[in-house]
Amino acid sequence: MKEITLRNSGPVTACLSSGKGGVGKTSLSVNLAFALAQKGVRVLVVDGDLGLANVDVLLKLQVQSTIRDILDRGADPLEAVVYVEPRLGILPASSGVPDLADLGPDDHQELGSILQSLGDNFDFVLVDTAAGIGSSVLWFNTFVDHNILVLTPDPTAMTDAYALIKVLSRDYHRKSFHLLLNQVKNEAEAKQVYDHLARVASHFLSLDLEYLGGVPHDPAVSKGVRDQVPFIKISPRSKAALAISGYAERLLTWAAQKPANRKTAV
Amino acid sequence: MQKPLCVSALCPYGAVECPLWAETQRLQEECERLRNLSYTDHLTGLFNRRYLKSAIDQEMERTRRTGLPTSLIMIDLDYFKRINDTYGHQAGDEALKWVSQIWRKNLRRIDIPCRYGGEEFAVILPGTRLRAALKAARRLQTALVNSPLEWQGREVALTASFGVDSYTARDNLTVRSFVKRADHYLLEAKIRGRNQICYQQLETAKPTPEVTMDERSALFGAPALPATEITQPKQASKKG
Repeated sequence: MKEITLRNSGPVTACLSSGKGGVGKTSLSVNLAFALAQKGVRVLVVDGDLGLANVDVLLKLQVQSTIRDILDRGADPLEAVVYVEPRLGILPASSGVPDLADLGPDDHQELGSILQSLGDNFDFVLVDTAAGIGSSVLWFNTFVDHNILVLTPDPTAMTDAYALIKVLSRDYHRKSFHLLLNQVKNEAEAKQVYDHLARVASHFLSLDLEYLGGVPHDPAVSKGVRDQVPFIKISPRSKAALAISGYAERLLTWAAQKPANRKTAV
Repeated sequence: MQKPLCVSALCPYGAVECPLWAETQRLQEECERLRNLSYTDHLTGLFNRRYLKSAIDQEMERTRRTGLPTSLIMIDLDYFKRINDTYGHQAGDEALKWVSQIWRKNLRRIDIPCRYGGEEFAVILPGTRLRAALKAARRLQTALVNSPLEWQGREVALTASFGVDSYTARDNLTVRSFVKRADHYLLEAKIRGRNQICYQQLETAKPTPEVTMDERSALFGAPALPATEITQPKQASKKG
């Protein structure tokens, strides 16, 4: 078998993971995707929480078929994508299906080729993974070009994010991680938590963590979740929306540069 | 299931009472009978050791492809020699047949019970995690304890020792080393006094904690966080 470079001209792929649940991955993924689409690029959001999907809930989607239907029944991936905006597609997963939460190597390979062919229609693919360090979380993280770690400034979220970084770097040779701090008081707090985690990662794992930024604690965020509308749409001038818009801008620069974790595969 | 080469009962050339065709069919049936014999243990009717090896190999490959673990229970009848010595070898054979029958009734259709040799047995549990395998082992243990052998009007109590192990896609094991590992737990069950189930305890199975104590204290020891949010790791306070 020879090594070939995948997706040379394909989309920028990134996944948002956290280790700990409830830190706002899904909300940030969806809003980042909206922000990117607003800037004129085509975005696909993949609901990577294969057991307890909730991108569809967050957006009040009418789901036709899910990743499970694609894998189990050979449903057409293109038809499974739900467009919430002309340039923004969602690939939904199914909720409450525990057996799919743990896909095997064969399923992952299949999912990989599905995402790859779907990706041809988009400039960005954002995967919102499940919490934890399950096999699918690890697989999504090795599949994409960019790994974004979402965490809040509390000790459990920090420990879990650190644990995920450790496993991915030690066992899967991932070297580039972008930290996105959520629910921070201000930019200074975000930077402080980042600095601290970066020091520990540098010392113990010889890794240079990258700083994506902080999303301030903002009532617009929880309102968006409750109303099932992205906060970036209903409160575009809120602090959180402005921050997300800025980070979308940063993600756009990834399209121009060679991805740090460009995948090669057999 | 293996199908005969030809499904038609008639000679392909349409000959009536063709002797060649009759002979071909007889050979096919004989082939089938021998194939069954080659992987069956004649005394107990369970699968034999040869079949066990190829079945484990196949299930381990399935684990690597699907990610679903394969479990293995190794079983040894306790004090079997004593039964032979006290009641004779015929009683010993009856005991082997008896336990095979009981266990077969208490397994699922997908499980593969084998006679490993002598009074040792092995059960392959395809696509089964350790917890479910332990439950199966307990079921086999209870069923045996509740069903003594009747031998010439007397009840002979039977017990067995069990070693349970699971192979996951993360393990790097050969068929031989997987059997050896399960056998090791069986030995442990014997040493601990028989009629019990031994398996890999979670504490020893767990790899080193992902985040070490040093890393934890680096994460929370330094005053980088607001004072209210600094929590001491629980283990540290236990030690003190």
